[in-house]
Amino acid sequence: MPKPAAKLAKIALPALVLGGLYLVAIQEHVQREHIRDAAVALTPRCIEKLEGYALAPGKRYESPYVLQRTGARIALRGYSEEDVRAIQRGCNIVDDTQGRFAQDPYAERWNAKRFLRGSHAACSNCHRGIGDRHDAAGNRPQGSLHLGASWVMGDMYDRFTGLLLPYEFRQFQCYMNASNGYKPNIADDVIRDVTAYTRFLSAAVDMKIANHYEEQGIDEIAASATLKQGDDYVRGEWLYKQKCQQCHGPQAFGQEVSGRLVAPALAGRNAWNLQSRNNFYFVSTILAGFICRNMPPGRENTLDNQECRDLAFYISNLPRPAGDKQGPLVAVQQQLLMAVMPPLLRLGASSKTPGPLSRGNGE
Amino acid sequence: MKALALALRSHAFLLWEQWPKSSGHLLVGLTLALVTLPQAVAFSVTLAGVPPHFGIYAAIWGVLFCALLNPSPVFQGGPNTAMSAAMGVILLPTSAPFGTEYMGLALTLGLMCGLIQLLFWLIRPLGRMLDLISEPVINGMICGIGLFLIFRSLTTFGGLPVNTEVEWPLWIAWQSFLAILEIGNLHAIEIGLITLITCAVLQQFDRLRNWAILIGVAAGTLYSQYLNATLGLQNTLVEEIGNLSSIRVVSPSLPLFTQEAVPDVIAIVPGAVTLALLGLFQTVAAMRRMSRKAGGFTDSRKAIFADAVSNCLLPFLSSLPTCASFNRMWLVHKLGIHSRITIASSAIILLLLVLFFAKVIAIIPMPAMAAVIMLLGANMLNWEDIKPHLKNRREAVVFTASFLSVLFLDLFGAVIVGSVLAIAYSKWEQVNPNVSLRGNVLKIRGNIYYGSLPVIESMYHRAISRLEDVIIDFSECYYIDEEGIRWLAALKAGQKAAFVDRRSGRDRRDDEATETPGSGERRGESRRRRKQDRRRRTDI
Repeated sequence: MPKPAAKLAKIALPALVLGGLYLVAIQEHVQREHIRDAAVALTPRCIEKLEGYALAPGKRYESPYVLQRTGARIALRGYSEEDVRAIQRGCNIVDDTQGRFAQDPYAERWNAKRFLRGSHAACSNCHRGIGDRHDAAGNRPQGSLHLGASWVMGDMYDRFTGLLLPYEFRQFQCYMNASNGYKPNIADDVIRDVTAYTRFLSAAVDMKIANHYEEQGIDEIAASATLKQGDDYVRGEWLYKQKCQQCHGPQAFGQEVSGRLVAPALAGRNAWNLQSRNNFYFVSTILAGFICRNMPPGRENTLDNQECRDLAFYISNLPRPAGDKQGPLVAVQQQLLMAVMPPLLRLGASSKTPGPLSRGNGE
Repeated sequence: MKALALALRSHAFLLWEQWPKSSGHLLVGLTLALVTLPQAVAFSVTLAGVPPHFGIYAAIWGVLFCALLNPSPVFQGGPNTAMSAAMGVILLPTSAPFGTEYMGLALTLGLMCGLIQLLFWLIRPLGRMLDLISEPVINGMICGIGLFLIFRSLTTFGGLPVNTEVEWPLWIAWQSFLAILEIGNLHAIEIGLITLITCAVLQQFDRLRNWAILIGVAAGTLYSQYLNATLGLQNTLVEEIGNLSSIRVVSPSLPLFTQEAVPDVIAIVPGAVTLALLGLFQTVAAMRRMSRKAGGFTDSRKAIFADAVSNCLLPFLSSLPTCASFNRMWLVHKLGIHSRITIASSAIILLLLVLFFAKVIAIIPMPAMAAVIMLLGANMLNWEDIKPHLKNRREAVVFTASFLSVLFLDLFGAVIVGSVLAIAYSKWEQVNPNVSLRGNVLKIRGNIYYGSLPVIESMYHRAISRLEDVIIDFSECYYIDEEGIRWLAALKAGQKAAFVDRRSGRDRRDDEATETPGSGERRGESRRRRKQDRRRRTDI
C-alpha cells in the first residue's frame, strides 16, 4: 500500500471505530433515559411493601409504620416522581435480582443478572423480606440483615478489611462474593437504585445515620457463645439432613420448581464463593448467626448456638467456587471438586446404610 | 561506601565530559519535559492512585538521579507506565487510593523496591539473572502491559469512578466498556475522543510526532474549558487534575512504617519484589536495545545501580519509583542527541514549568489523561516488535505465554511465568543438541551435558544396534559437562566407539575455511589430511 494511503487508513480506521462507538454510546444513553422515565411494574411483594410504607411522590413524606409504632408524626422531605421510580426499581432488584418476574430483565432490572453467576443468587436470599423483615407483631428481628440499617451504618470502617467502605463498595462485596459474581460500576443504575431503595427503607422505619441497630448485619455466634464442644462436621451433616435438606436438597444445591426458586444453593456453582464472609473458614461467626436468626423459615431462633455453628461448619466444607483473589490454581481445584464430588457422593449415598450416629441421635 | 563514592565521582566526571556544545540540547530538553509532563500526571493519578505531584517529582528527581548515576547517554528514567499500574494493583487491596495511608504505603513500596534492586546490584549473579530474560518474554510482557493500560484507563476515559477491589482484569475491562456505553459521561467521552484522535492523527506526521501528546492534551483541555464555559462545571461534571500549587522544589516525605501499618507492609512485600523486577527488566531490556541502536554499550549493572539508588532516595521526596522508559528513550534517540546533560536539563525545565505554570496544568481534564495512557498502551503493542517472534514456533509460544500471563494472572504471576519461561527456553535450547547420523559418523553439535545426554544416548544406541563401527564426532561441541565426560569415558573404556577429537575437527574446519573453489591442489591436500584424520581417530 502506498505510504499516504497507509497513513490515511491508520487515521481513518480508528476514527471511524471510535466515532461508531460514540454513536452507540449516545443510543444507549437515550435508551437508559427512557427506562428511567418509564413507569415501573412492581413485583407482588414490592407492591405490598411499598404500599405499606405509603411511598408516593410529594413534598413531604410521613411513614405510616412510624406513626403506628410510635404515635409520632415525623414529616421528612418528600420524594420526586423520579425518586419514587428509582426506589421502586431498587425494590424490584432486591426482590427479584435474577429478573424472573420481569418481562424485559434489561429494562426492568438494569440486567442485574449479568453481575451474578449462576441462577440462584439474589439480594433477598440473605436480606430477608426484601431487606426489611418483620415478624408477625411488626418488629424487626435481630440479625435480619436489614438494608435500611445497613444504609445508616454504611460508610464506616469495615472491621474485616480495616477499610473505610462506602455503602456502594459494600454492595460490591455482595456481588463479588455472596453472589460469586462481578461488581458493577459505582455509577451504574443497579447500584444507585438499590441505594435509593435502602435509603428509603431507613426513612420509612425511622433509622438515623451512624446509630447502631440490632437488625443490622448478622447476630454473630462466636465459639465462646457455645458450650465449647467444638464445631463438628458429622453433627452438622446430620443436622443438615434433618433440618435443611428438605428445601436445599441432599447436596445443598438448592431447589427450583417450574422456574421458581424454592431454596437457594448453599454449595456448588450457584452458591457463594470461598471469599464470602459466609464461608466458615473466612469468618466463623457469620453463617452460624444467619442460620440461628433466619432459618428454617417460620421456625427461626429454634436452633441452639452449637447447632448453628455445626451446620455452618458442615455447609462451608461443601465444594463451592473460589474467590477472585485466590488465583487460578484454587479456582481450578474448586471447579474439579464441584465436578467430581457430587456424582461420588450420590454413588456413596445409594450404597450406604444409615450409620450409628444418625440412628442414635435421631430424637 | 567507598565503592559508592568512587562510582558517584566517576559518574560526575563523565557527566561533565558530555556537557553540550550547542543550545540545541536545551530545546531537546524542553521537548522531553513537555512530553514527560502529561505522562507523569496521568501515570500517578490514573494508574498509581496517588496525587499528580508524585509523578511530577518522579519526572524531575527520578530523571535527574538516573542522569547523574547512569553513564549511558541514551538512558532516561522517570515515571513508568507498567510500574505505576503495578503500584495501583498492589496497593488497592490495602487502603483507599489518594488517602494518607495509601500514599504512605506507596512510598514504603517504592523504598522496598529500591532496596530489593540494591540487592540485585550487590549480589552480582542476581543481576546477571536479568540478562537471562529473553526478548520474546520481555516483548510479551510489554504487549500485555500495553493492553492492560488501555483497559485500566477505560473508566477514567468515560468519566466514571474507577472500580476498586480485585477482580479479573479482562472482565473489569469488558464491564467498564459496557458501562461507558451505557452510563459514561458523554462530555468526558467527547474530551477523551478529541485528545485521542488528535494524538493519533499527529503521530502519523514525522515532524509532529514528538508533539502529538502535548497538542492532543491541549486540544482536550481547550474543549473541556469550552464545555465548562458554556454548560457550567456543575453540568459537565468532568474531573480535572486539580490544584498543584503545593508543588515546591523539594517536598520531603517519609514512607509509612508505623506499628499499625506493619500487616499491610508485610502484605505488599511480594508486590515490592514484582515492582523491583518489573523496573529492572525494563531498564536492562531498554538499555540493551537502545544502546545497540545508538551504537554504544553500557554495562547493565550500572543501570541497576542507578535505578536502585534512585528508588531508595525517591520515597523521601514524595515521588513514584523510577525505571527506564522505552518511549522517552526512543524519543531521545530519534531527536539524535545522546547526552546526559540534555536529559538532566529536561528535569530542571520540568521543575520550572510546574513551579510557574501550575494553574494551567491543574485544568487538564482527566479523560484527556486517560486518552494519553490509552495511546501509550496502544504504542506498546507494536506489530514490528511482535512479528519476528511469531516466525519461530518456540519464540511464539514464549511470547504468547508471557503476553497472556499479564492478562490472565496478575503482574507478579506474569513476572514468574516470564522468568520460568526464559530459563526453560534457554534450557530447551541446551537439552536439544543437534545430533545427526551420517553413514557411521554420529555428529554432535551443541552441548553434551546431563540434560542433553538422553537425546544423544538414544541416537547412539540406535546407531550401534545397526552399525558395527560407530564414530562419534564431537568436534563442534562447545560445552561438555562432568556427566558428559563420564559418559564419553565410559564409551572409551567399553571400546564401543571411536572418537573424532577436537584438534582434528578444528584442523578440518581450518581446511574448509582456506579451501577456495578451483584450487584442486588444496582440495587434494585437504582430502589427504582428512584420510589421515580418519586413520588417527582409531588410535584415540
